[in-house]
Amino acid sequence: MPSLKDLKIRIDSVKSTRKITKAMQMVAAAKLRKAQESAERGRPYAEKMRDIVSNLASSVKNIAGDNKFLGDGSDCKKFLLIVATAERGLCGGFNSSIVKLAKSRIAELASEDKEVKILTIGKKGREQLNREFESLFIGHVDLSNEKNITIDTARKISVDIISRFEAGEYEVAEIFYNKFASVISQIPSSYKLLPVSFNEKESDASNVSFNFEPDEDEILNEIIPKSIATSIFSVLQENAASEQGSRMAAMDNATRNAGEMIDKLTIDFNRSRQAAITNELIEIISGAEAL
Amino acid sequence: MTNKFELSIISAESKVFEGKVENILVPGMVGDFLVLSNHAPCISSIRPGFLEFSEGTSDNQRYFVSGGIIEIINNMVSVLVDSAVAGDKIAKEDITNLISEVNDRLSAEDTINKDDLGLRKNDLEEALKQA
Repeated sequence: MPSLKDLKIRIDSVKSTRKITKAMQMVAAAKLRKAQESAERGRPYAEKMRDIVSNLASSVKNIAGDNKFLGDGSDCKKFLLIVATAERGLCGGFNSSIVKLAKSRIAELASEDKEVKILTIGKKGREQLNREFESLFIGHVDLSNEKNITIDTARKISVDIISRFEAGEYEVAEIFYNKFASVISQIPSSYKLLPVSFNEKESDASNVSFNFEPDEDEILNEIIPKSIATSIFSVLQENAASEQGSRMAAMDNATRNAGEMIDKLTIDFNRSRQAAITNELIEIISGAEAL
Repeated sequence: MTNKFELSIISAESKVFEGKVENILVPGMVGDFLVLSNHAPCISSIRPGFLEFSEGTSDNQRYFVSGGIIEIINNMVSVLVDSAVAGDKIAKEDITNLISEVNDRLSAEDTINKDDLGLRKNDLEEALKQA
C-alpha cells in the first residue's frame, strides 16, 4: 500500500497532466475550426481545376498527343511514395495510421520487384519510416516553420516533385495522407498524383469542342503542374484538419482517463487516510486500556 | 443593352470575385483578348498582368493577376489565378517583389524553365509600367 504522501503526489501529478491535455484539446478544437475553414475556402479552386482538367481530357483524348505527364502508369517500375504526416505527435493514431498504409504499399511494391523511393512531408512520418527504409529516402519537406499552410508551400513541393519526375527519378508518384471524414474519423488514404490519367472521370462537357490558346500540349504543361500543386495543397489541408481532429479526440480521451484515474486515486487516498486514523485510534484506546 | 455573363475569379486560397459582367479583358498567354457573352468555349492560360472587367454599372474593375488559367463555357467564365489583387490595392512594390523573386529563381536554378521565367519577367515588367 503506497503511503499517503505518495498518493497525494500522484494525484497532483495526474491533475496537472489533465490540465495539460484539457488545454491541448481546446487548442486543437480552435485550430481544427480554422483548418476546416481554410480547407473550405480552397475547395472552389480545386473543384474548378478538376473540371478544367477533365474538360481538357475529353478534348485531348481524341488527339494522340503524348504529353509527358499523361499515362496510366500501368507498367512502370519506379515508384515514388509521398508520405504526408504531421510535425507533432500526441494526436492519437494519426501519424502511425498513414505510415502503416505506406508500409503495406512499400511491401506490396517490393514483392512486385518495383523500385521504391520515399519522400516525406512532416517530421513524424520521417522518424517512423527512417528506422526501416533509410536507404529509400530521396527527400524530406519540413513544415515545422509553417504555421498555416499556404499554396506557396504546396507549389514548392510540387516543383520539386515535378523536376524529379522530369529528371526520370521515378515514373509514378503516389501520395499518402489522412482524409478528413469527420472530427472523430480520419481515413488514411492514398492516390496517384503522377502521371495524370484522364479516364477516371467522365467529363460533363465531352461534346463541347474547346479552343485552346496556346495549343493543348502547352496548356497541359501549364495546367498539370498547377493542378498537382492544388492537389498537394488540398492534401496538406485535409491532413492539417485531420491532425487537429485526431489530436482533439486523443486529448479528450486522455482528459477523461485522467479524470477516472483521479477518482480512483482519491478513493485510495481516502481509504488509506481512514485506515491511518483508525489505526491511531486503536493505538490510543489500547494504550489507555493498558493504564 | 449588352448581355451579361457569369464571371468567377478564384484563387487557390479564396474566391476573389463572383458576379455578372458585360465584358472581360484577359491578358492571355499569346495576347490580350476581350470576352463578351456567347463567346465560344475556350481554355487559355493567362500571363501575369491586369485583368479588367465591367459590370455595366460603374467603372471597370481591375485586378492584378500573377498568371493562371481561364475557362469559357456556356457563358460561364472561370478564371483560376495563382493570386489576384484589386487594381487599386496593388502597390508597385508588390510587382517589383515578384520580379525580384523571378530574378532569384533565374539565377539560382539551372532550371529547364528558363525561357518561361524570362517571359514571366517581361510580363511583370510590362505590368509594372501599367500600375
